[in-house]
Amino acid sequence: MEEIQYLNEHLGPRYVGHFAIVLAFFAAALSMVSYFLATQYRGEVLRSRSWQRLAQLSFLAHGAAVFTVIGCIFYAMLNQYYEYQYVTAHVDGQLQQRYIFSAFWEGQEGSFLLWMFWHVILGYVLMVTARSWEKPVMAVVCSVQVVIVSMLLGVHFGYGDWFLKLGSNPLLLLRETVNAPIFQQADYTELLRGNGLNPSLQNYWMTIHPPTLFLGFASTVVPFAYAVAGLWTGRHKEWLTPGLKWSLFSAGILGIGILMGAAWAYEALNFGGYWAWDPVENTSLVPWLMLVAGIHTNLISRATGQGIRATYLFYLFTFVLIVYSTFLTRSGVLGDTSVHAFTEMGLETQLLLFLVFYFALSLGLIIWRWRSIPVPEEEEATSSREFWMFIGSLTLFMSAVLITGSTSLPVYNEVRQFFNPVFDGLTLTEPEAHHNRFQIWIGIFVGLLSGVAQFLRWRERKFSNHLRYFSVHGGAALIGAAALTLLTLQWIDAPTLPYKIMVFAGWFAVWSNLDYLIFFVRKDPKVAGSVVSHIGFGIMLVGIMASSGNKRIISQNQFLMEGLTDDEQLARSTVRLYEGIPLGMEDYVVTFTGDTIDGMNRRYQMEYERMNPDGEVVERFQLEPNVLYDKGFEKIAITNPSTKHYWDRDVFTVIMGLPPEEQSVKIRQETEDSLQYRVLPLVRGEETSFRDTVAIPQRNSSIIYTYTIGLENFSRHPNHPEYDPEPGDIGIGAQVHAHRSGGIANHDTVADVALVLREGLLYHFPAQINDMSLRIKIDESVFEQLLVQDEDLNYREFVVTPGTTFRLGDRQITFDRFISQPRVDHFEPDDGDIWVSALLECEGYEMQPIFLIRGNQPSGVRDEISELGLYAHLTSLNPETNEATLRVAQAQPKAARSIPLAVAPRSFRTDYITLQAIEFPGINLFWIGATSMMLGLLVSMVTRMRAKRLRRTA
Amino acid sequence: MKKSYLLAVLLVVIAVVLLLQTGNATSEYADFARAAETGDKVQLVGTYVKDKPTIYDPLTDPNYFSFYLEDLTGAEREVVLLMGKPQDFEMSESIVLTGRMKDHQFIASDIQMKCPSKYKDEEEMIKNLTES
Repeated sequence: MEEIQYLNEHLGPRYVGHFAIVLAFFAAALSMVSYFLATQYRGEVLRSRSWQRLAQLSFLAHGAAVFTVIGCIFYAMLNQYYEYQYVTAHVDGQLQQRYIFSAFWEGQEGSFLLWMFWHVILGYVLMVTARSWEKPVMAVVCSVQVVIVSMLLGVHFGYGDWFLKLGSNPLLLLRETVNAPIFQQADYTELLRGNGLNPSLQNYWMTIHPPTLFLGFASTVVPFAYAVAGLWTGRHKEWLTPGLKWSLFSAGILGIGILMGAAWAYEALNFGGYWAWDPVENTSLVPWLMLVAGIHTNLISRATGQGIRATYLFYLFTFVLIVYSTFLTRSGVLGDTSVHAFTEMGLETQLLLFLVFYFALSLGLIIWRWRSIPVPEEEEATSSREFWMFIGSLTLFMSAVLITGSTSLPVYNEVRQFFNPVFDGLTLTEPEAHHNRFQIWIGIFVGLLSGVAQFLRWRERKFSNHLRYFSVHGGAALIGAAALTLLTLQWIDAPTLPYKIMVFAGWFAVWSNLDYLIFFVRKDPKVAGSVVSHIGFGIMLVGIMASSGNKRIISQNQFLMEGLTDDEQLARSTVRLYEGIPLGMEDYVVTFTGDTIDGMNRRYQMEYERMNPDGEVVERFQLEPNVLYDKGFEKIAITNPSTKHYWDRDVFTVIMGLPPEEQSVKIRQETEDSLQYRVLPLVRGEETSFRDTVAIPQRNSSIIYTYTIGLENFSRHPNHPEYDPEPGDIGIGAQVHAHRSGGIANHDTVADVALVLREGLLYHFPAQINDMSLRIKIDESVFEQLLVQDEDLNYREFVVTPGTTFRLGDRQITFDRFISQPRVDHFEPDDGDIWVSALLECEGYEMQPIFLIRGNQPSGVRDEISELGLYAHLTSLNPETNEATLRVAQAQPKAARSIPLAVAPRSFRTDYITLQAIEFPGINLFWIGATSMMLGLLVSMVTRMRAKRLRRTA
Repeated sequence: MKKSYLLAVLLVVIAVVLLLQTGNATSEYADFARAAETGDKVQLVGTYVKDKPTIYDPLTDPNYFSFYLEDLTGAEREVVLLMGKPQDFEMSESIVLTGRMKDHQFIASDIQMKCPSKYKDEEEMIKNLTES
């Protein structure tokens, strides 16, 4: 087949990017080998140094190559080169620039690159700061880089039927990834459009959450690398100090990243909460728990020499769990159980190898060195701080094991299915309840331990000396926490004993850490960070109980269904709201007052009023939940909640459903087409009646209604609540009277309808009368009777001064005068308009064509004398000569004898929404507590770094 | 360190016991017959039966959505989902429901749908990408 010479392809980024990916791979590999050898030859200074120099240079090159790949992708994305599959998949013309980052890391390749980007930055920092640890630590970092770059190589090794796909290249052209007839065209790039960014990711949280989370993910490699380096070089104690600083950094950033994800879920998604024990959430939490366990044993081993083995294990497992998390979320294994896992991409084998390799490496190293890891002769005392801290670490470890175990069910199923293909697979029936049941006890233990441990001393030799201090302060904390718990339970409910204990554990941690802060911060400023974290943890426990345990669904369903359990009744959590009709929900009255559309985004205005028991309004606020349509307005892409934040509670509101007609323009058209309109020609003041039979839903009967329709008035100035006049519009409006009798009650309404011709298109402005399910519009045939389009007229131009009379056919037309800014019924001025009309007179009738300047653009509005069939435009005026340029035409006079009204019964209302509203009490306690927990970790890191600098300068 | 090891072992034992308890919280996907036998809350997989009546009328009750589901054994039952009709319901390839059997109806309090990946074939994808 002949090669096609494609036109307008931009192949620059492709060539540069491919080269950079290959360079990044080999430079990382070279750097890894060189660092490895530099470590191995560490005894021979010169030899080691030259390898180290080579390793540094190749890592610098590797970094530059990674930045180049990222740059190439951004370049193609910013320029919308749709010939690149990554660009078509994640960008479209409507993508706002501020979401370009979200679009970049929406795909697997982009997020791998983000991960590598952070590794490079961290690697550069390590090269400058790690000193004697640089060689072994960087060897490990480089090995991870080699593995991740290989995910982007996009190389296929084939041998017969067997082939291995190594990575997925983000810089492939679309025509290289799919085969379609379109690529027979040389100019196919002209035809391509992008797919765009998933609407749920078009959110500012998605700009800051992924880079923070990935910095957290990436930084776990540093404690891991230090642990490997410690085992490798046998310096089992020296690595503990730099390792601790890095793991504090990593845990702080990873934690903040996770919290940002929670904030995104709460602010932008519609499931009504910040944590759902979704597998993707779990697999990011588990490494964090493991890392925090490691930080505690790290502290112990620095203070007492105990627990070095545990520290090794925790840091090694943290990274292995990060890889496991990557495997779970990116291999497609979670597909069934998680809402936001990636779909599979053919990298399963590679990811599995990644996991197995680092797991085996960790296990091998620890077994190899186990005996040489120093363990103090003397056992720690049960009354010492290290003992209880160690228990705390084990508790965190257990939490991690439990969460991992339950989250790995899909993996277990895959394995069973591999051996037994008919195996259906197990699932957690109620994952949230399941996790909560276990983790509540973890929370209680950690809360109590983080309080108790603060009252104990390191390396306790004689507890009896310390007993007095311990019992006074511990006792005060017990009493204080009990009192605070009682107070808290006045405000929120804790349904069962474990929940009450959890609140107590939270307050106990807060109290005892405050106590510790007051008595110790002057002696040792390093405690500040730990105290901030532990107080944060305590507050978070109370916050979880308040916000999740006491969340109140305000939008309780009013319809009771028989025979449901409480849980099932609770699932029925939406209410239906009609526009403009207030609805009482619990202690709120909510009114859906209207909506506005801006692009694809439709906002709904909800007025909330909170009532006290006497029925007085105590507060009033407006929420604006929105829905985002997909490109063709054919369905709803996503609904976003809106939340009112008070200091003590949040009111969360989200739209759960719209009428089908509002979800899709297609359905709206189908519904409109299915209506049975009857056309009733009416003259002003006339009335007519008809009957219709309407079935009653879900009953075998029907009602016969009598409808009476009357034309009250009509004018050439359309008047309709939704009509926004524009110059050049030709329209007609009518006021219609409708009456329905039959059924339970009679209804009587007056409504406005309009029909407008704008730039060759007809716009209907019908009246939907919901009380009688009646729809009225002006039938289009009115135009044949009444309106004449300019195209059908034969205009003649006249340049005349005021007072002149001119002749058109058999009519004498007098141009009487100019009128500045006249008020006429065929034109509605906007602010800033300048308009002038020419008053024309003919046989006792008048018309006033208008010359208009709106926003520096001249235009005009036609006027007519329907009775005589005269039409006129004022196309320009000359201020020097005072001449008007008029275009006047004559046609057969058409006077409206009657207005054809199209009337359809059984047109059901579409002015409603279904809404869910939830109150979260004390949710700020959760945010404040969780955030200060993470900030405390960073504070600890900073105080430790400063302490070191002070020591060095001293 | 001995005490710590004992405790570690103890905690591992507790963890294993708890994990085994997880076994009780899990279940295999049920079918209508098994759900009717036990009457317990189960998870059930099936497909939407398009040609049987599907009722969702938010004007009457926004938390009542009824349709027919065919489970993996081929049995068809009416399902009452206690919430609104989910987006893209008709397009779902298979449906996972959490709920219980009550008389002849399956009362579902939660639903998860598996939708076909966005594009069934490459041609459709290209078609979509070239539409303006």
